[in-house]
Amino acid sequence: MLRTQELTKTVNSQGQDLTILSDVSLTVNEQDTVAIVGVSGSGKSTLLSLLAGLDLPSGGEVHLAGEPLHQLDEDQRAAVRAQNVGFVFQSFHLLPGLSALENVMLPIELKEQDRAKERATELLEKVGLKDRLQHYPNQLSGGEQQRVAIARAFASEPKILFADEPTGNLDTKNGNKVSDLLFDLNKQLGTTLVLVTHDDRLAERCQRIVRLEGGKVVADNAVATQTEATQAATAEQ
Amino acid sequence: MLNMALRTFRRDWKAGEVKVLLFALTIAVMAMVAIGSITDRVHRAMGEQSSEFLGADYTFESPRPIDEAWIERGRNDGLEITRSQSFATVLSSGDNFQLVSVRALDGKFPLKGTIEIAEKPFTQGVVQQAQPKAGTIWLEPRILGVLGVEVGDTIDFGSIQLTVDGVIVAAPGQASEVFNVAPKVLIHIDDVEKANIVQEGSRLEHILFIAGEPAAREPYIQWLKSQKNPTQEITGGKEGTPALKAALERAETFLRLASLISVVLAGVAIAVAAGRYSQRHFDYSAIYRCLGMQIRQVHKLYLWQLLMIGLIGSGLGLALGLGLQSLIINQFSDYLPKPMVGISLAPVITGSLSGLVVLLGFALPSFLQIAKVPPLRVLRKELLPRAMSSWVIYLLSIGVMALLMWWQSNSLLLVGILLAVAVVTYLLIRLIAWFIFKIGVWLGKRGSLPVRFGVGQLKQYPAFTISQISAFGLAFIIMLSTVLLRSELLSEWQSQLPEGAPNHFLVNVQEQEVEPLESILQESDVSTKGIYPMVRGRVIGLNDMTLEEALDENQQRVGAVRRELNLTWMADVPEANKVTQGEWWSESDVADDRAELSVGEELAQRLGLEIGDVLKFSIGGLEVEGEITNLRSIQWDSFQPNFFIIFEPGGLDGFPASYITSFHLPVEDKGVLNQILREMPTVTIIELDAIMEQVQSILDQVTMAVEFIMLFVLLAGIAVLYAVLQVSREERLLSATLLKALGARKKFIRASILAELILLGAFSGVLGVIGGELLVNILYSKAFDIDLVLHPWYWLWVPMISVGFIGIVGWLGLRHLLNQPAHQVLREY
Repeated sequence: MLRTQELTKTVNSQGQDLTILSDVSLTVNEQDTVAIVGVSGSGKSTLLSLLAGLDLPSGGEVHLAGEPLHQLDEDQRAAVRAQNVGFVFQSFHLLPGLSALENVMLPIELKEQDRAKERATELLEKVGLKDRLQHYPNQLSGGEQQRVAIARAFASEPKILFADEPTGNLDTKNGNKVSDLLFDLNKQLGTTLVLVTHDDRLAERCQRIVRLEGGKVVADNAVATQTEATQAATAEQ
Repeated sequence: MLNMALRTFRRDWKAGEVKVLLFALTIAVMAMVAIGSITDRVHRAMGEQSSEFLGADYTFESPRPIDEAWIERGRNDGLEITRSQSFATVLSSGDNFQLVSVRALDGKFPLKGTIEIAEKPFTQGVVQQAQPKAGTIWLEPRILGVLGVEVGDTIDFGSIQLTVDGVIVAAPGQASEVFNVAPKVLIHIDDVEKANIVQEGSRLEHILFIAGEPAAREPYIQWLKSQKNPTQEITGGKEGTPALKAALERAETFLRLASLISVVLAGVAIAVAAGRYSQRHFDYSAIYRCLGMQIRQVHKLYLWQLLMIGLIGSGLGLALGLGLQSLIINQFSDYLPKPMVGISLAPVITGSLSGLVVLLGFALPSFLQIAKVPPLRVLRKELLPRAMSSWVIYLLSIGVMALLMWWQSNSLLLVGILLAVAVVTYLLIRLIAWFIFKIGVWLGKRGSLPVRFGVGQLKQYPAFTISQISAFGLAFIIMLSTVLLRSELLSEWQSQLPEGAPNHFLVNVQEQEVEPLESILQESDVSTKGIYPMVRGRVIGLNDMTLEEALDENQQRVGAVRRELNLTWMADVPEANKVTQGEWWSESDVADDRAELSVGEELAQRLGLEIGDVLKFSIGGLEVEGEITNLRSIQWDSFQPNFFIIFEPGGLDGFPASYITSFHLPVEDKGVLNQILREMPTVTIIELDAIMEQVQSILDQVTMAVEFIMLFVLLAGIAVLYAVLQVSREERLLSATLLKALGARKKFIRASILAELILLGAFSGVLGVIGGELLVNILYSKAFDIDLVLHPWYWLWVPMISVGFIGIVGWLGLRHLLNQPAHQVLREY
């Protein structure tokens, strides 16, 4: 599903080349759930933006759904995203001018698929926001906004979902609710999930944890099993 | 994509995103449509009025009979054409004679305007719509006194007799001929031949009066121009009335300028609103891109948006503009030229299309930016689209602006001036921005904390601050210039016809009549502007040469050397004249051996005369010489007796002089004229009251038009100020809420916002004054021919008004929002 080879990113800062990522090689299979963890500045977000084709690497390769992202231009990468990718962001990034329903309809419309409204309504029901369809983002709480964002992320039935600190802006209770939803929907729809977080408990719900330090992969381990992790988390609640 | 664009538009609409942009565009189109059609209607109605002075849209004059085929052609084109002949002859009744200028008509006259005929001299007339019948004659009132006849009597006209059928109170064509000493009569053209009065070699002018719709008229006039020989002359409405020509031309320039100004205001408002709109859509665009939309699709999406905003804004603006112009025209119908002409399509189409063009020129760069936002912005908020080369943006806006201005004004000069001012303004804005920075640093050291914070806000987003100041400043520049130009034009027109200006002239007063005349006038409480001598003489030589030797062929044709001139002597420069070269004589050098002369500069130029040249005159068979010591400019539209050549006092001693005087006489006192004519039958009375009244009423109407179009520009300017304040309101709200969240007291927040608004207002006001003075003075000199004037009074007022307006409106927009809980505001933005 997703494969990188010696992925490197350097930026020029005040005349000096700064290496943010170096030689990251990863393979993520279909339906895998992978957490990328590390302290601030370790290169997590940069890696995510390269994996999703939001940015171009300075060296190395990224293949997403068989497409060599590093060789594609902006628009070609957008096309790959439209077909394969969903996003959940730390700061939700709902469109403020659109209602909850409209936000979820958007990716379906972008793919020019039918029954946008019905499907969006279904998804919002699934995330428990049946009564909030016509609310605007500023009328929703943070947790509610992130649940809309999750519904939106799954709306286009992506093959792979990238989540950037999806619970980072939420309190524990809402955070748990959101991560439950994320993993439930992921499981139901058989999506590949790549999430960036520094929340260890969230990371542990994934099958695999990739740890970054100073732009390098320092650990890449399988977590016990997803079921165990989920059970553990549920028990805790 | 259209579907999606429609949905996006609907959502943006609901969310209030497009409202500011739409508001700006609507105001712009409304202003352009309303100003455009009001200007157009007033302009055309004024054209109609000046045609009324001429009696037709055009006259065609020819010393030889005019080819019948030419007249046929015009009539076939659907034009009204009245043939007429004009010549001088002597009327007699018993022992009394009077030289008159005859106008013989073969059809309806006047074609434009009206003629008023009365039963008795110096009484109210009745409007007539026909020419005199064969066998009758209409006379100017003074002729009746001289000939001793009344309406109903007969007078001798060549070999026939004509019955006096009426007294001419007002007739078209008087304006250009007021100082023609021979009074005018109107007869039927058939009587000319019957009277056998025109002999071979008599000076006879054949005149066509032409009127009709512009579409038929203008091509015909063009055709006539191509056919005519140099002795034939075509005169249009405006040229026929020198007293109005300058006023009307200036009014037109002003109105044209007003519509240009609405274009500039529109551009500013739209550029500001579009800039904000696109910034607010950067996030949208990043998310769209992140969700897989391609740049092309985002472009398309926003271009559709732009088009929809354009269509809706233009539609709304068009409807409002049309409503407004008809409201204004109806409301002010009493003050506007009558009859008011209908609305024409051109300004309406121009206005609506300009809306779209302005939107493209000013909003397109911002809209194109939207799609260029890097999708990575979803992770890194600080990422902005790569800025378009500013030259591209400026060139696009300036190009569009120039195109529109040219389209609206058809005057490259005006476009050039405004664009030059725009460039200078831009540089000024840069300078002022730098100034702000300096003041900020200075205040930062000295001001209280809230003031420092307010200034800090301005310093923090220099680009936004500069765009606000430039928008406000430009609005003030435009409003100030409009106000100043209007005042200048109005006072100019006022001085042209001041209250109590002389409206009657007595010419041909004999020396022994001067005293009795003065006592009559005194008894009747009529005050004169003095009694001037007038000597009739002809120029016969220049610098010891005859005119044939001294002047080339063209110069010899100049009227002033072919006929007798009215010469006078004066101690002081006459009113409405200005010495432009040399010096006026002083009392000490009065009457040395050779008289000093003052010559009108236009005449001097045409004859190639210079200071030091010696002119020789023939006066009643005697000769006299004078040396030119100064040249004068003469204001021909002043309704004063003007003299080409003035001698120094004593220079014409010993020559037979008649006298001329002028005074203001209200219509109810006109009986005194009868007394004067009874006691001094040879005195010629020239009545200017009717024509001056007409000129005054046109000037009043033009004034009114200028006034309310100015008002409209002011309203448009205020709308722009308001739009900009709306756009920047959010920034202020957010920073104020942040302050509140950080624990600042209301008083502190109020002080810091006010400090920011006041500074913005002050800088915009200063910019407005500097730019306004600059623009006005350039316009004065290039477009209106007025000397440099500064307006120090406004240097104080404009910044004060600017501070007041921006402070109050800006504050009112925020006040109630500041009472909202901080967390609510923070969550919304």
